[in-house]
Amino acid sequence: MNPFLFLFRELLGSIRARSALFFALTGLLLFVFLAVVGTFFLVPPSSPAEAGEEAVLPIEEIRVHLSPRLSSATVDRMFLEIRAREDVGRVVFRFSQELDRDASGGVFVIGPTSPDVAPALVEALRSLNGVTEVIERRSPGEPDRSPLSTAARIGLLSSLVVTIALSLLFARIGYRELLRSFAGEIRLLRLSGISERTVVPLTVGVGVVIGFLAGLLLLVILYVLHYVVVSQGTPPAIFEGLTSGGRILGVSLINLLLGLVLGGLIGLFGAGLLGSREFRPIP
Amino acid sequence: MAVMIQVSELHFTTEDGVKVLEDIHLRVEQGELLYIVGPASSGKSLLLGLLGGQLPPQRGQILVHGRNVGRLSPERRLELRQRIGYLPQGFAPLSRTVHENVLFKLRSLGNFREQAEEKAILALEATGLIRLQGVEAAELSSLDRVRLGLALAVCDDPLLLLIDEPFEGLDANECGEACLLIDRLHTGHLTVVAATRGPLPDVTRGQRIVRLVDGAVMES
Repeated sequence: MNPFLFLFRELLGSIRARSALFFALTGLLLFVFLAVVGTFFLVPPSSPAEAGEEAVLPIEEIRVHLSPRLSSATVDRMFLEIRAREDVGRVVFRFSQELDRDASGGVFVIGPTSPDVAPALVEALRSLNGVTEVIERRSPGEPDRSPLSTAARIGLLSSLVVTIALSLLFARIGYRELLRSFAGEIRLLRLSGISERTVVPLTVGVGVVIGFLAGLLLLVILYVLHYVVVSQGTPPAIFEGLTSGGRILGVSLINLLLGLVLGGLIGLFGAGLLGSREFRPIP
Repeated sequence: MAVMIQVSELHFTTEDGVKVLEDIHLRVEQGELLYIVGPASSGKSLLLGLLGGQLPPQRGQILVHGRNVGRLSPERRLELRQRIGYLPQGFAPLSRTVHENVLFKLRSLGNFREQAEEKAILALEATGLIRLQGVEAAELSSLDRVRLGLALAVCDDPLLLLIDEPFEGLDANECGEACLLIDRLHTGHLTVVAATRGPLPDVTRGQRIVRLVDGAVMES
């Protein structure tokens, strides 16, 4: 076995109840940190009303459904009239069946020249004879439509700071306990000429394992939530982000990577304790 | 005979400005056994630390096995340290069995399990600890702790063995036994330098002894 792997196994074997407790707390806090980060990715945008904002989403496209009784000459005339309007950017005629198999008649798919003129255009189109329905299609994700209120965002961002600070504190206590129970071994390693490039990565490795487990736990929980949400049919709006398996995989992998990086940084923080007099081979 | 240690014009001053070692000159041949005797705080441990590459020299030259310790790169110094067995003062064994103590060091130095097992058995036999290999090291007597420290120091076949205050906590008979063990270990190519406050047991009569007084080395 590679000496590093041997020593890493020995170091992990030196974890006692107290250090395990603090490492578990560190891992839990890292998990919370990653879950909060995941929330920013996975909570879907809600309607402006939900967000408590007045902004109305811009109209991107207008679909004008025509009566099937209209003659083709009438439809042609309407098409030309609409195309001639200054507030119409583009207009395309399509058969209703192209959009809905059970429908009949025709549809003008209209793009307004700008979102500002769209409401007036919709009204004008509704007043035309032979029009059965006018449907507005609004652009997705515009403008700021986060379901998280400013207060919630501040709360989440604060929780990121608090969790990382607490995890560093708990990790330091856990490391102090672990390194104390491994102090004799560290002194012997240093006395025997084992490089710091072997000793320091051992402690960093513990942090990486903690970060990895936190990321892995989040991945498992996200997938469990995904299956629960999908099995319930139409989920509440807040869980819409959990319906896409691909999105969950992406977020989980990002979080796993983030967990590894954070764990490594926590490990480096713990490795700072190795400079203590307690671990010197010769007093 | 080849020279194992050559020290010239070695000085060492602490951060507080106390001159601990002053113009030390010392030559130790390969396979030689040398006792350095001196009062407490005379710089014996410091000298061993310098010889063992645990500390960089401030002024002067230390050649160990033909290598200038002060000019070695950190990597080379580590390589040299791996060839030096070191029993520090107040040695505390690991909280494992005697056998596991030795095995831990050997595996850490990259020995495979079978190879480590073989070397551990040889070291425990050489130090008379084979019958106690399954005993928890914490339960060992003072003399057996010294034996274990020596087993750890010699287990990976070092070129040089440095022993700091091996007689601490031992009675006169045990000191004699420890000396005999050190004498046995130095046979062959192994060079041994042991530092102690003294007095040295009678069994060391005939061995080379130097005194470290007021920061200087004097042949006895």
